[in-house]
Amino acid sequence: MKILAIDTSCDETAAAVTEGTNITSNVIWSQASAHAKFGGVMPSLAQRMHEERIDWVIDRALGKDYKNLNGIDAIAVTVGPGLSIALGVGIDRAKKQAIKHNIKIIAINHLEGHVLSPLANNKKVSDIVFPALGLVISGGNTLFIKIKKIGSYQILAQTTDDALGEALDKGARMMGLGYPGGAVLERMARLGNSKKYKLPIPIVGQEARRMFTYSGLKTAMYRLVESEKPLTKRKIYDLAACFQDVAFSHLTRTIKYILRNDFAVKPGTLLVGGGVAANVEVRKRLRKLGKEFGIKVLFPYSKKITGDNAAMIGVAASFKYECQEFAKTESVDRKPNAKITD
Amino acid sequence: MQVIKLKGKAVGAAVEILKKGGLIVYPTETLYGIGADATNSQAIKKLTEYKNRPFGKPYSIAVTDRKMAEDYVELNETASNLYKEFLPGPLTVISKGKHKVSTGVESEDGTLGIRIPDYKLVIEIVKKFGKPITSTSANASYKKRPYKISDILENISAKQKKLVDLIIDAGTLPHNEPSTVIDTTLDNPVTLRQGKIKLTDKNEVLTRSEENTENLAKEIWQKYEMHIGKRAIIFALQGKMGTGKTIFTKGLARAMGISELVTSPTFALENEYETGKKKLFHFDAWRLDKSTELRALGFENLIKNRSVVSIEWAERVADIIREFDDEAIIIWIKLEFGKKENERKISWGVTQ
Repeated sequence: MKILAIDTSCDETAAAVTEGTNITSNVIWSQASAHAKFGGVMPSLAQRMHEERIDWVIDRALGKDYKNLNGIDAIAVTVGPGLSIALGVGIDRAKKQAIKHNIKIIAINHLEGHVLSPLANNKKVSDIVFPALGLVISGGNTLFIKIKKIGSYQILAQTTDDALGEALDKGARMMGLGYPGGAVLERMARLGNSKKYKLPIPIVGQEARRMFTYSGLKTAMYRLVESEKPLTKRKIYDLAACFQDVAFSHLTRTIKYILRNDFAVKPGTLLVGGGVAANVEVRKRLRKLGKEFGIKVLFPYSKKITGDNAAMIGVAASFKYECQEFAKTESVDRKPNAKITD
Repeated sequence: MQVIKLKGKAVGAAVEILKKGGLIVYPTETLYGIGADATNSQAIKKLTEYKNRPFGKPYSIAVTDRKMAEDYVELNETASNLYKEFLPGPLTVISKGKHKVSTGVESEDGTLGIRIPDYKLVIEIVKKFGKPITSTSANASYKKRPYKISDILENISAKQKKLVDLIIDAGTLPHNEPSTVIDTTLDNPVTLRQGKIKLTDKNEVLTRSEENTENLAKEIWQKYEMHIGKRAIIFALQGKMGTGKTIFTKGLARAMGISELVTSPTFALENEYETGKKKLFHFDAWRLDKSTELRALGFENLIKNRSVVSIEWAERVADIIREFDDEAIIIWIKLEFGKKENERKISWGVTQ
């Protein structure tokens, strides 16, 4: 069964073709080739409008093999959460194509896409025993869930203010590393000493609150950076290392607390998705955590599946296709505020 | 629970209830207040349960005059001057407490807010009772300001109703602001809540915790919520990273009755929250390169539809927001870091 998947939930315009959990194509606008095609970077306003590039992205994902949706069995589209006007563009295209070619639509929650992204091109999907655990760490979300089975989720902890990726991006910005600078911050952090400065671990000792919070750390970082100005390269390395260290410590401390206290029997697998899942340091720490609890930790196989993309939407849709969970084409609508538990 | 009209017998009835550790709802020159014996720990416990707020949040107390106030707090020169100038009247003056009230009435730092209402009934009750009573608004936390009895009863649970022993009904009170709250225990007196009485000509408040900031958002919302549905209401939030713009919006949402978790909209650019009839649109202009992008996000339609909108990093899109001066009530809010780590100086102005 072959699915055309579309995601326009925020900044990226993305389309993909998937077969089961295998990825046939995965096109994201911000990739270099697309920029080349349109002669450089578009102004940000147009970047967020999706409208001008969605058709090109879909055509490119379909390629020669599936031209005009030939051989496509269903269209999967992200309905939320995300920016309302952006979601609308993808949904509109999905509906038009579904009607034109008389195929069915599968409505997908963007967060479910991230959670299931480690299953993409994964040969051992059928070995996973449920309940399992899921963790989304991205620019827009920080969410730890129990996966009772695919399609049925329970929130164990989520951010009450800033997302982890957002915090890293903002920390980078404070040090003049641009935006989004989470990836730059990671590179700087590798060269720094994480014990050089003292930043407070959010809600340390109060992990029983079962939440993630990064606003306090952000403020502490702001004050620290201001007091260290003018910044030297050395200082930036150390500040980046400290900030990342504390941000990740909070993440793992909360997860560990929940694993220790809320699970008599530990699930066997943890699926980790979202842009921050590309960070080597966080992978290292989550693997270590997995070892400690006897949990296998799975990450997306490629960086192109960590950030926002449509391939993960196709992967999530493959399970719905199996259960014949189709949406009524005419009533598919944007859900900017969608929850993974909906 | 008994409801009686405001007349001669009200004082005696109220005192009887207070003696037994009960709760009374009474009118003042600002809002309906709820009173308990400030020296009776059982009564204070009952009040905290009614208000539905965490233990440790202090209550101010009503006394008859300065002399009685001095039994409970130490007045410094600043406080003395404020008493002379403004009391009795809609002002709560915070001073160093003498620890003669029940635990939970004074703040954790041992300070205590004193109010001398400009309202005969309250003075008579306290005089006859001989002890101070709590002076806090009669609504439960984050519920509507109580100007009439139905404002209270329609917004509390059956369980909360049971906790109230007596209501003195004086009909609908004039819609006055709650009292201004001034802390005199610091080197410079600071305003913690801005009512009718102002120390300076600008609206400026010092908050000392995230909860304080949320609370201020609630206070400001309650000043303007009467415009809901008639005009768009825009909260234009300006302030550096980490000053509490999202926290402010959390308080605003809570005051609107929204129970959903409000998080930073930096990544999504816009989040929407809903409760029954009310909807809050929460924008973040931080990632916008040009102010005109706000229009591309559908801002104009929201104003036309008379929505409630909160915009973080409003300074980045100020020119677009100002274009709607006529259509919308725009509350410009500035958040700055204070001297201490958790302190924020928050000031605001309104164009309407």
